[in-house]
Amino acid sequence: MELFVAQLLNGLVYGVLLFLMAAGLSLIFGLMNVVSLAHGSFFMLGAYLGLAIFKATGSFWLAFVLAPIPVAGIGIVMELLFLRPLYRRGHMDQVLLTFGFTFVFLDLVQTIWGRAVLHLWAPAGLHGIVHIGLGVFSAYRLFLIGFGFAIALVLWLLLERSRIGAMVRAGVDNAIMAAGLGANIPALFSGIFGFGVALAALGGIAAAPILGLYPGMDSEILIPAFIVIVIGGMGSLRGAFVGSLLIGIVDTFGKAYFQGVALFLIYLAMLAVLLVRPQGLFGIKYSDASVAPAVTTTSRPASLQTRTSELGVLVALLILPFLMGDYPRALVSEIFIFAIFAMSLDLLLGFTGLMSLGHAAFFGLGAYAVAILGTQFELNAWLGVAAGVAIAACGAALIGFFCVRTGGIPFLMLTLAFSQLVFSVALKWRDVTGGSDGLTIAEQPSFFGFSLSRSLVMYFMTLSFFALTYWVLRRLLNAPLGHAFVGIRENEQRMMAVGYPTRAYKLLSFTIAGAIAGLAGGLYAIFNGFISSDAIYWTASGDILIMTMLGGAGTLVGPAIGTALFLLMKNVVSSYSEHWLSIIGAIFICCVMFFSGGLWGAAQKLQWRRVAK
Amino acid sequence: MSVLRLDSLYKSFGNLVVTDNISLIVDAGERHVIIGPNGAGKTSLVNQIGGQLRPSAGRVLVNDHDITGWPPDSISRMGVARTFQRNNLFQNLSVVENIRLALEVRLGNPLNFFAPVGRDTAMSERATQLMAQVHLDGDGARAARTLSYGEQRQLEIAIALAGEPELLLLDEPTSGMSPSETARMIALIGSLPRTLSILMIEHDMKVVFSLADRITVLHYGKVLATGTPAEIQANDRVREVYLGMVH
Ligand SMILES: Nc1ncnc2c1ncn2[C@@H]1O[C@H](COP(=O)(O)OP(=O)(O)O)[C@@H](O)[C@H]1O
Ligand SMILES: [Mg+2]
Repeated sequence: MELFVAQLLNGLVYGVLLFLMAAGLSLIFGLMNVVSLAHGSFFMLGAYLGLAIFKATGSFWLAFVLAPIPVAGIGIVMELLFLRPLYRRGHMDQVLLTFGFTFVFLDLVQTIWGRAVLHLWAPAGLHGIVHIGLGVFSAYRLFLIGFGFAIALVLWLLLERSRIGAMVRAGVDNAIMAAGLGANIPALFSGIFGFGVALAALGGIAAAPILGLYPGMDSEILIPAFIVIVIGGMGSLRGAFVGSLLIGIVDTFGKAYFQGVALFLIYLAMLAVLLVRPQGLFGIKYSDASVAPAVTTTSRPASLQTRTSELGVLVALLILPFLMGDYPRALVSEIFIFAIFAMSLDLLLGFTGLMSLGHAAFFGLGAYAVAILGTQFELNAWLGVAAGVAIAACGAALIGFFCVRTGGIPFLMLTLAFSQLVFSVALKWRDVTGGSDGLTIAEQPSFFGFSLSRSLVMYFMTLSFFALTYWVLRRLLNAPLGHAFVGIRENEQRMMAVGYPTRAYKLLSFTIAGAIAGLAGGLYAIFNGFISSDAIYWTASGDILIMTMLGGAGTLVGPAIGTALFLLMKNVVSSYSEHWLSIIGAIFICCVMFFSGGLWGAAQKLQWRRVAK
Repeated sequence: MSVLRLDSLYKSFGNLVVTDNISLIVDAGERHVIIGPNGAGKTSLVNQIGGQLRPSAGRVLVNDHDITGWPPDSISRMGVARTFQRNNLFQNLSVVENIRLALEVRLGNPLNFFAPVGRDTAMSERATQLMAQVHLDGDGARAARTLSYGEQRQLEIAIALAGEPELLLLDEPTSGMSPSETARMIALIGSLPRTLSILMIEHDMKVVFSLADRITVLHYGKVLATGTPAEIQANDRVREVYLGMVH
């Protein structure tokens, strides 16, 4: 019984921390329709700045009160300078911008404070333990629970009773209506964004004595906070509160009583809720009509001129490996593999208008199929790749079934949560997957009788699959099915009205994209000779999103160009500078700000303008 | 035989009843026009027939099939096509692509993932015909968003006609049009074959009386009167609450 109560309190503590994250995320989403992936970074920054203030002043309470202020300042500057110009664009650019910032903030923290785990002790007054009827409890944890509930109450009162709250509530329903109430919308947006960031920072400093401080704490809190929002319902404060406590308690009890499956319990809780209420416990029902398209680029049929240039590029790629050594050959092979991965994402993102932040799951299914079938059943690697494609397609069909019932930001969050579920399986099912130690693929398959250990053969293998994928996707996109996908991206409601069962089409797109991602994963397993759970962490999905966007979502060539640029930069910059994360992040932020259609999209626009003249 | 039958259809948003026990029949080949002041519930009624809105009670029957509560795509495949009061196009796609999307799903093979769209010449010809029919010949390559407002209304009609429907629902097809555009639209709708039945919402009395076989007047979600144009014009209550308001 004592243990039970202790676990319950621990669950509440975790729930309270999640609430500080989720409340801000939910408010920001509800009001501005923005999902900030940088919200975890603000949590992290709050913790580290708190530590710095503590070191300077020796007072935990001073740190507790002061740390959120500069972080909120950073948040407001980010909103003013970077997010604001993007409000008129689709939600994708905003998500990507904030993702770019996570790189910069992570690098910042690593540079200033290092990578080691740091500690911040609870204040002297709360060091001790408290005896209450049912046992002894840490005073600081009890304080946190009380503090969290107090914050929740204050937030509720602010939202329900104050004038600002009325404006925010009106704004959540309809920004125009709020303006009619006399709300200064731009100021309201900045204010709420800063306020949400401050709450996250407060969560960070509050969590520091319990969880410690380390780079990576940002995404470790972000993902469960997203799940809270999916469960509670987007844009609902009540949902954030109930969802946080639910996840906090489920997770804590899971870790205490069902160690093997603890990681899955929160995902199962999420699934259970979504099966009954797709919009979350307190969310408003998702309506297909209300979402702005994620991207808008017009696909053009391939003309004769592009046929010629395609042939030219192919010939160049056939000659290229003979001009370079083993290392660059391997790099280009890797580019081909990730270009296949990026093109598959683009089918979903650029051509169907569905922004997935969980595409790495299907890459992982393909890669693990090769590795597991190879090590456990000594299956030929080519059969492994074929099996991987089939398994990834099935996985995508299953996961997609849940995800395509939504769209826009809820879709993004769901795909993210599902891919983290796949990640957890890879991490925890050590007997089969090797967990974070990974699996080694011993067998090097032959390719038309050549042995694949030679870089040249690897090059031609990956090139063949890249060219094949490109060709298949081009056929698809120029065929009626591809046009239907683009139609859904442009105006799903109208597509339904003319007779397309759009949900089935979205599921089809999701499944094809998953299958091709599985192909990329299988090739990667062969190429790399090794696969571990790290390869499918959610940031891998983020990276592939970046590559796709960098080159130009909604174009066929763009993702390949973006992949090449990203991987070249990563290789080149990381060999010259330790700050490659920041540099990539900054380049990426610039791209989102100034080349909204990606590099290839911008180039195409220029070309069309010339043609039009 | 009736193409469309509404049986005591009822829809409310909270306390607001927008469709109050409406029963209505559209016979094969009929041009049936719905009139009524703004907010009478005309668009909501069409949305319930098209599947965009789910009725709270009552039934919608198309060719004696009960389609109440069906999703829009299934209803469309029953041969019901519609236009929207506010232009609802694929703004970034070309005029041809707008029409082809609608053609492909009803007459082609929308799941074809391999043959280039342009290769299906029968389909291309049909698209060209449709463009000519709505006076958009030569505009095929233009993006829909570059069309004038009136041209966009014409494209709405082409998209609806592309699926070769039996029943066409038109939500204020002439709203926002210039007098010459309106005249062209009347001619276009008038030229549609009698194999097609039309249920149309319209404000412009000139359009109403030049096209309608029968007229239904809605008022606060209720049917005030149904009848031939002459009967409606002679109806005192209609004159009182509606026609009197039109200047
Ligand atoms: N989704 C909705 N929720 C609440 N009220 C609605 C909704 N759609 C329409 N209404 C209301 O229903 C009434 C009828 O609207 P509508 O059918 O568009 O009228 P009409 O087309 O005759 O002008 C109006 O008062 C409108 O405000
Ligand atoms: Mg209307």
